[in-house]
Amino acid sequence: MNVEGLDISILAPAFAAGVIVLITHIPLGYEVLRRGIIFIDIAVAQIAGLGVIIAYTLGWDEHGIEAQIAAVISALTGAWVLSWLEKRYGAHQEALIGTSFILAATGGILLLANNPHGGDHLKELLVGQILWVEWGQLLHAAVISILVLTVWLNFRDRIGGAGFYTLFAIAITVSVQLVGVYLVFASLIIPALATIGCSNRSGLGMSVIIGASGYAAGLILSALLDLPSGAVIVWMIAISALVMHLSGACKALVNSRTKTD
Amino acid sequence: MIYTVVLLTGLMPAAVQAAVNVFACEPEWAALASELGGDRLEIYTATTVRQDPHHIQARPSLIARARKADLLVCTGAELESGWLPQLLRKAGNARIQPGQPGHFLAAEHLDLLEIPEKLDRSLGDIHASGNPHVHTDPRNILQVADPLHRRLTELDPEHADIYRQRFDAFTEAWQGAIDRWTQQLAPVKGVAVVVHHNYWSYLVDWTGLDKIATLEPLPGVSPSSGHLARIKQLLKQQQAVMIIDTGYMNDRPAKWLSDQAGIPLVTLPATADFQNNESLYQWFDTLADLILEPVR
Repeated sequence: MNVEGLDISILAPAFAAGVIVLITHIPLGYEVLRRGIIFIDIAVAQIAGLGVIIAYTLGWDEHGIEAQIAAVISALTGAWVLSWLEKRYGAHQEALIGTSFILAATGGILLLANNPHGGDHLKELLVGQILWVEWGQLLHAAVISILVLTVWLNFRDRIGGAGFYTLFAIAITVSVQLVGVYLVFASLIIPALATIGCSNRSGLGMSVIIGASGYAAGLILSALLDLPSGAVIVWMIAISALVMHLSGACKALVNSRTKTD
Repeated sequence: MIYTVVLLTGLMPAAVQAAVNVFACEPEWAALASELGGDRLEIYTATTVRQDPHHIQARPSLIARARKADLLVCTGAELESGWLPQLLRKAGNARIQPGQPGHFLAAEHLDLLEIPEKLDRSLGDIHASGNPHVHTDPRNILQVADPLHRRLTELDPEHADIYRQRFDAFTEAWQGAIDRWTQQLAPVKGVAVVVHHNYWSYLVDWTGLDKIATLEPLPGVSPSSGHLARIKQLLKQQQAVMIIDTGYMNDRPAKWLSDQAGIPLVTLPATADFQNNESLYQWFDTLADLILEPVR
């Protein structure tokens, strides 16, 4: 046991980052499951990374706003191509997503074949670690996430597939830099998966509980056990999802609601 | 209960004397600091012997320790550039920020090898300051010990005598050890080796090993088939005695070549295992034994 890491000023920004990621990822996660495109987040993150690598090889500055622009532009381009592919070859969408993931990943390797350390560096720029987040960074992410959420909740029926892919690309580009690919995947897929049989509203509530308790428990445990935070949080989200699912909490919620109605 | 009492009394003297908190990025600097400061120092090491110091997974304790540190001892030369800047920002500890007495980089006190002649992005700009794996030459350890003991004195002037005495004792003992190792390793001078990558450049430089090829010339990038073919061809003309590999790295390329060319593979531990109380002396003894094995 190790209590020195149990410092609220270390853990609080990380928890806030988790909550910001959950804001967009829980609702988008249901849509990802509905469309059956589980690995899209990893593909989009990889494409955003490829964008930064291309910008870097063209001589752009890899820090600051230029890299962000390159990441968002390539994520959006990737998302639109995927959305077009879905329209055309819908039945094979998951295979196409997987293929675009490996093309983006290996494309990056080829572009950086002569510059391995540059590659490491870029990976670190793009794949954040949750403990490194700072309040200033969180503010931008929070504003963008709330905008994405607002558009999604109010206009999802009107914006269609292309609109979904656009919002998704923005949300992923922001969140991957905050918390890394593993936590993005976990936040997106696990709560939605655990609450799949629930009604919309109780499912959403349960997802928030699963996500938030997963982040909180994961951060505390990683401090106590002195283990890497991101990985512990992934496991705690999965465990809290399993506990919630097995406890049948959502059915109980549904029942109590129908009774009181 | 008894244990608690023992534990508390054990901790008391340190607490009363307010030890200097040292945050070492790599075990070798923790081990060196421990030689120079002994009980005066409370040392934390961010990475272990089995870990690549280029990369690190953030843990809460890492930030907590950086917050309370009085002295940060790292390699520098951009070895930790993937995580140290973030850590320093998160820690917000003014004592250990760059430019402060509490910020000590070993590479700043050494002449580095392999400094690129031209700074070209295509060559990888990250190690523009040269090869950072300086601790694999024991003479470098000695050269860092001097400024490090002076830094400890500056931060904790009340105990200047302790640092002075320990530095003098270390200098004498370490110089003796260097002479012993140099003599011991005399037979490896000019012996042809293939290295996995440039981790051991300083050791090669010190011992006079003859590096005829580097398996992975660009660290982190698997060698191309053309490069492997060239090395195999070279080994047909010039027999190497061993392939040198680093403990924490993926040993598959080195194993492959070892099988293909029938040359023994020697895996050297990357640094002293400070967390398990291995000293720098013991580590260099191990290195010397391992390198001598195929030569005997």
